[in-house]
Amino acid sequence: MTLRALIAEDEALARHLLREYLQPHADIEIVAEAENGLDAARALTELKPDLVFLDIQMPKLTGLEVLELTGRRDGIVFTTAHDQHAMRAFELHAVDYLLKPFTQARFDGALERARRLLGQAVPGLDRLVAPAGPTVARVLVRDGSGGMQVLAVEAIDYIEAQADYVAFHSAGREHIKAQRISELETQLDPARFVRVHRSFIINLGALQGLEKTDSDAYLARMSNGKRIPVSRSGYERLRAAL
Amino acid sequence: MHPLLTHWRGLAAYLLAAALAGLALAAGLAAEGLAPLGWALAWALPLSGVCAFAALSAYYVCRSQPVDASRWQRALAARAAAVALLAGIAVAAAAAWNATGLVFGRPAGFVAMTPPAWGVAAVAALGFFLLAMLAHDVLIAVEAAQAAAAREAQARLLARDMELQLLRSQIDPHFLFNSLNSISALTSLDPAAARAMAIDLAQFFRQTLALAGRERIRLEDELGLVQHYLAIEKQRLGDKLALAIAAPDDALPALLPPLTLQPLAENALKHGLRPRDDGGLLSIQALARDGWLHLAVSNPTPAEPAREPGLGQGLRHLRERLAAQYGPRARVQWGATAEGFTVEIALPFETATP
Repeated sequence: MTLRALIAEDEALARHLLREYLQPHADIEIVAEAENGLDAARALTELKPDLVFLDIQMPKLTGLEVLELTGRRDGIVFTTAHDQHAMRAFELHAVDYLLKPFTQARFDGALERARRLLGQAVPGLDRLVAPAGPTVARVLVRDGSGGMQVLAVEAIDYIEAQADYVAFHSAGREHIKAQRISELETQLDPARFVRVHRSFIINLGALQGLEKTDSDAYLARMSNGKRIPVSRSGYERLRAAL
Repeated sequence: MHPLLTHWRGLAAYLLAAALAGLALAAGLAAEGLAPLGWALAWALPLSGVCAFAALSAYYVCRSQPVDASRWQRALAARAAAVALLAGIAVAAAAAWNATGLVFGRPAGFVAMTPPAWGVAAVAALGFFLLAMLAHDVLIAVEAAQAAAAREAQARLLARDMELQLLRSQIDPHFLFNSLNSISALTSLDPAAARAMAIDLAQFFRQTLALAGRERIRLEDELGLVQHYLAIEKQRLGDKLALAIAAPDDALPALLPPLTLQPLAENALKHGLRPRDDGGLLSIQALARDGWLHLAVSNPTPAEPAREPGLGQGLRHLRERLAAQYGPRARVQWGATAEGFTVEIALPFETATP
């Protein structure tokens, strides 16, 4: 069985070294190389590689942020030159990592360990990546041109379910993400985000008022003027939150 | 000069207190039946003013004769003599001024002083000048403490600067280990480049270590250091880093504090070129003109605002550091420009005396 690998590393020479160290491992195929954190996050989401060689210090997003935003927890081999903060966290949670520069033998050892754990979450990683709590502060979204972007949840006005996607409406722009709205609902802070309808989650900070329609239903008027349908159970949830 | 004489509010309050003391004295004399209040005032008010000014002279005694462990006997003797002298003069002046009351037709002067009253006056004068002496000793001690605090603050600033120097001259581990990793990669790819990079790395650290304790270096040496640093970064960043370094020969001997330019180059890469997908041009320019050394470092900036904390702190620190060495003659400015971000420095053009 061939293993598909992603190299996420901002320096060309360091990528070259990883390719060289991977050469003796004929069963590993490099499916993508990412030069920054956002590209790494996109490749992780789209290509779903079996193995990821992940540098900690990268432009745009650090390696740990990539994991935080993609939810990826397995098949990770960390590399770092000297990030004291990350190294302390690795030690604390007994997560293996490669310190640059490393030897072929050390690399092979880390790879062997990753192979053994293939498909299983790296132990200790959950606590290391998401120490903040059960709710997320940022989401990784795709913009109109297909590029990846990180969106702070407080900047989201409302979220709309569209088939297999959710659309985030923020500052007049729309961003999409392949996720179910019910799953997303559990990740957002319930004190700020309320599921007002089967297809809508709104940010209470962007809510301006409630309007009653002729048919005795409610509409949520958002600060950008958009009116969002509120279901009966959604109205109950909204009242409870307010 | 006495500090009170340059501090008009304090002086006014002091004279007001003296006038009140004069009033109290006059009221006391009137109550004792030594004189009607009007005459008592005519004597006591000018007298209290004169004594108030005489008391200020204690400042000079206290300052010229500080009480310290080795000469305290002498200092005490000087204070005692000054108190006795001032009290004697004050009593004599009081008697003389009282005698002028005769001119105004008062048979015993302004106030009919009795020998016991004079005794009280002499003791009061001694006590008053003794207090003045003690108050001035306290004043001088407070002044000395304030001066010491100011000196200490200045020293702390210098110490922080030295600490920065030391920190800078130490090895940045992230840079070192990443460079070593690049060398490790180059050994199979391009052995000659690996050797060149190892030598640049060695030169950069050797020259940085040699800076410890040096107050000024030649621009030429600073640029040499920057070039070794950038040669390493160029190897790491590849095509993302384009360089334009322009320093005419007449600017090269100019002196500047060490590590003025290198941290700017480092910042330009960290916050400017590295986060950009296509990198860009790092430009370093030096110019000597009209007695000034002008330095400019510019780089393009990423489209997204930087998230790194501490952005701008290094620049503020550089400004402080240059201000501590050159005072108002050093200028550091930075901001967004057509190229992206530019830092400009102007220093007085100085060269080593041959």
